[in-house]
Amino acid sequence: MKHRRKRELPLHLMILPSMILLLCFSYLPMGGIIIAFQKFIPAKGLFGKQKWIGFDNFIYLFQLPNFVSVLWNTLFIAIMKIILGLLIPIVVAILINEVKNSALKRSIQTAIYLPHFLSWVVLGGIFIDILAPGDGLINQIIKAFGGQPIFFLGDNKWFPLTLIVTESWKSFGYGTIVYLAAITGIDLSLYEAAQVDGANRWNQIWHITLPGMRMVIVLLMVLSLGNVLNAGFDQVFNLYSPPVYASGDIIDTFVYRIGMLEAQFGVATAVGLFKSVISLTLISVSYWFAYKFADYQLF
Amino acid sequence: MEKRIIPTGLSAILIGGLLLTACSSQTGVSSSTVSSTGETGSVVETGNSAGAEDADPFGKYEPSVKMTFARTVDNDLNDNILPKTPGETIDKNRWLDLYSKDLGIDISYAWSVRGGLNDDAYTQKLNVTIASGDLPDVLIVNRTQLKQLAESDMIVDMTDYYDQYASKLTKEVYNSEGPGILESATFDGRLMAVPYADASVESTQYLWLRKDWLDKLNLEPPKTMQDLRKIASAFITLDPDGNGKNDTYAMAITKNLYNGAMGVEGFFAGYHSYPNMWVKKDDGTLAWGSVLPETKDALRALSEMYQAGEIDPEFGIKDGAKMAELVAAGKLGIDFGEQWNPMYPLISNYQNDPTADWVGYPIVSADDKLPKVPQKFRTQWYYAVRKDYANPEAVVKLINLHLEKNWGENNEFDHYYMPAENEGAGVWKFSPVTPAPTNKNLEAFNEIQKARKLGDMSILKGEPAIIQKNLEAFYAGDTTQWGWEKIYGPDGVFNALNGYIENGQVMREEFVGAPTPTMVDKQSSLRTMELEMFVRIIMGDVPVDEFDKFVDNWNALGGAQMTKEVNEWYQSVKK
Repeated sequence: MKHRRKRELPLHLMILPSMILLLCFSYLPMGGIIIAFQKFIPAKGLFGKQKWIGFDNFIYLFQLPNFVSVLWNTLFIAIMKIILGLLIPIVVAILINEVKNSALKRSIQTAIYLPHFLSWVVLGGIFIDILAPGDGLINQIIKAFGGQPIFFLGDNKWFPLTLIVTESWKSFGYGTIVYLAAITGIDLSLYEAAQVDGANRWNQIWHITLPGMRMVIVLLMVLSLGNVLNAGFDQVFNLYSPPVYASGDIIDTFVYRIGMLEAQFGVATAVGLFKSVISLTLISVSYWFAYKFADYQLF
Repeated sequence: MEKRIIPTGLSAILIGGLLLTACSSQTGVSSSTVSSTGETGSVVETGNSAGAEDADPFGKYEPSVKMTFARTVDNDLNDNILPKTPGETIDKNRWLDLYSKDLGIDISYAWSVRGGLNDDAYTQKLNVTIASGDLPDVLIVNRTQLKQLAESDMIVDMTDYYDQYASKLTKEVYNSEGPGILESATFDGRLMAVPYADASVESTQYLWLRKDWLDKLNLEPPKTMQDLRKIASAFITLDPDGNGKNDTYAMAITKNLYNGAMGVEGFFAGYHSYPNMWVKKDDGTLAWGSVLPETKDALRALSEMYQAGEIDPEFGIKDGAKMAELVAAGKLGIDFGEQWNPMYPLISNYQNDPTADWVGYPIVSADDKLPKVPQKFRTQWYYAVRKDYANPEAVVKLINLHLEKNWGENNEFDHYYMPAENEGAGVWKFSPVTPAPTNKNLEAFNEIQKARKLGDMSILKGEPAIIQKNLEAFYAGDTTQWGWEKIYGPDGVFNALNGYIENGQVMREEFVGAPTPTMVDKQSSLRTMELEMFVRIIMGDVPVDEFDKFVDNWNALGGAQMTKEVNEWYQSVKK
């Protein structure tokens, strides 16, 4: 017992910095939740004499005509992103795995991985130019083929789709790497055995590669479910504008505007708290599902 | 024992170092200001050698006092003024030198952000600063923030300091619009901050048109809104820039809709709609102009223009700076805005294309009734002083000196306001406090007109004389002075203002009180909602009839309550 503790001590030390960060930036600020139940006047400070107003902030929130659409936008955008963020990397990983030329394989990997490192502040500027209806690259192409230009970032029909596609483009390379690693871990003798049994490439992918990736797929799925209400603040914030609030305003941008610009800290905190409660429920449920059906446990 | 001293000493040094670095970011700026004054100190005249006597509006502090501000750096300052004033920076310039030398007040900035006072960046940073409780000595805040600060006892009651230290000129300026300017910063009879006095007359809207395009297409200046719509249509279909391509739009508007340049308020007024201000209805009560039925007509007209391609389809995502690029590129011919528009952004068009001839006309209406010309209550910002600051009167002295140097008897307008040697750049923006007398521009214009009629320019003194000098420089070929000619020339835009006044078209904003409780809570979300809905209606994203739903929502979400409070205030001041 004592021996084991000694052996695990370095591991615990390694995790300590992240625990401290978690405590500082995720747990301590929870004290601020009280703001959601106050008529918060920032000048008086967090511990000042604020007026308690019970659930008034929440009532006001649900009265706001756009709150329902904000909630719907968040769910729609986030869920679409999660689905594409799972499917595309799996397909691409399998495809890359089938490439035999290793130089080509590696350059593809690097190329698709690259956008992951660019921030949305940079990409936002680039996409605004590329997608501009007047002289943007994409619309030049559409016009060259005789189509009508599309205002991707100003049209409520197109805006969510644009968000989902650009986000998938940015992040699928990262997901691919993880799945490729999983594929590498599959025992090669399985493939040899399958070949002996007369399985073609398709059979091999279906019966060996995919089942071999199962654990990783479930793991990433569970982890991504925590993002069901995170539709991506930095992306939306850098691309949206008042005309597309109706289809692109998400909880986080909504909180930003109410809190930072309108200084209604009480209402903003109420939205944040609301989001956290929903998220916690969703994560707990999905975790339970993962345990039940894939026998997967984090703890 | 020794062993213990070393670590303790070390940590003390470390902590000390941390504190030093933390402070140096704030003191670095001011110390450079001090040293610069030391160098130039001898060159300068006047100064009030009398020293800091009691209640001397221009008394100098010995030794000097420090004062921190937070400030904005707008497009004009960054792209126009700074390039034209080599050697001067935000932290070291003629105004800060003057304050330091004449008043012994060393100004530095706790932080600064790009953009204007109305932009999100400043609002956000200011709200965070207030929430953190770590305020600079003087904060430039809006009425809502002022009220919050006053309620939470974080700022100094300025009543006595203002009474004792405001100079004669300052008091004259601050009372020039009746009690309104000071009233708006008064809570329970106490003046809680010194207002940034600004002239309501300056918010007057004019219709700026490319006269060269009108001439080319054989069009007359508009008499009615229908004329204007025809002009707009001609501007996009008849190739006014003559490049053989169908690449022009007609009217400049931005995603913020209500602007001093490239705004819509002058357009709305043509439909007798006065959004974004409190107006008096026929029954004598006050109402928020944006939710009155006339606004729907104006929105319908704008959405038709958008549909026709007369408005940039991307306006909904473009701010002023972005739209100004289109103006500079000669793609636009109609601009509703204030008198200074030729200074920015219109001059950029002229500089790229000397044939671009923007002329300011009176706004027009859609029926036979002359449009009212809305003049919003312009004093929107306040210099609030942090509670524990030792010399609250210093901010009053800054205001005294700012007014004195620009408009006092022995002013140095040509050095401190818009000096000819700096191509007429508005160096007054270097000053952290920038109040302005209210009717000075129109008065200057009328004096110049009078002198022109008499044929004797020598009667001009002070600001009008300098403006005349700029005009002459323009006639002599100095193209950088183009804006002056457009504003103060014989056909200058102030002719339109004189016309407005003669015809009794001016309509002052009716609500000038401190913000009501509901305003503090709800107004800014109501504004956001209004802006979003109007932009979407114009873009055809929702039908014009959505306006009615917007009005219902607006009322339900606090608008009705706000209107009630505003009318209570109105009743109380009428008595």
